Amino acid sequence: MKIKRRAMKADVPSVAMGDIAFNLLIFFVILAKAQDDSHLQWQPAQAKQLEGIASSKVSVMIDNKNKLHLNGQEIGQAQLAKGIADVLGSAPQGERTVLLKVHKDATAMYYEAVIEAISEAGGDLVHILEEKR
Amino acid sequence: MPRERITKKLLVEPAAVATGDIAFNLIVFFLVCASTQPDTGRRQDMPRSEQTKQQETKTQNIELALTRTRTVVSLNGDPVKTGELPARLRRLLEGKRRPEDRVVVVKSKPDVPYDHWIATTTLIQDLGASITIQREEERTIVVGQ
Repeated sequence: MKIKRRAMKADVPSVAMGDIAFNLLIFFVILAKAQDDSHLQWQPAQAKQLEGIASSKVSVMIDNKNKLHLNGQEIGQAQLAKGIADVLGSAPQGERTVLLKVHKDATAMYYEAVIEAISEAGGDLVHILEEKR
Repeated sequence: MPRERITKKLLVEPAAVATGDIAFNLIVFFLVCASTQPDTGRRQDMPRSEQTKQQETKTQNIELALTRTRTVVSLNGDPVKTGELPARLRRLLEGKRRPEDRVVVVKSKPDVPYDHWIATTTLIQDLGASITIQREEERTIVVGQ
């Protein structure tokens, strides 16, 4: 007597598809945040009547140790204007926003040079601040 | 004697193995959400340095000098209490209609903290004027050998 062999089904378990899709989504959200400067320490200054600012290609930060960063990477003051201009490229007006994050206690010696560099590179300056309550 | 019928009810529980995965995914999700919160801020239009030089030759702009002292600023050379600054600036800007006349030149000492600077410049902006920064030039002078 011949015993029939059962055909084994080898499927990828479809139960995990939701989890995989969800993890991929999170991965790409993190990846999209190219100029991640969340590892840097700074405290924003406070002001009233602030507006919500959409994310931008360029973010410049002066941290609590007066170190200068362009899109999360440390940079020298002399290279800043060229660095910003390179990232902005030939972007049209309205898409040349540069986010400036300055630690509240940083002094004019540091931030004025940065503002000048942003202006030189043709960036639209936006100060990132905290709403004063 | 009637025999009781025993009905077996199956206990259906969600798979406990997945709880760890779910918790982990939720943590990651909320971490990502928290880090992608939109920023709040203020736009500031700065005339480019070349343009500013041209304007300075044509019109006499208002000059505001800042020092580390938060209570007093210098407006066109006169010391003014910070509380009185909005009224004094408003008076100076009265009658100035052209945008090039409504420029305030902000001069800051190198030790002026950012929060003091931003408080003053936002005040100027709120009064409808624009800001120009005048920096102290640093020059290296080589003394003869």
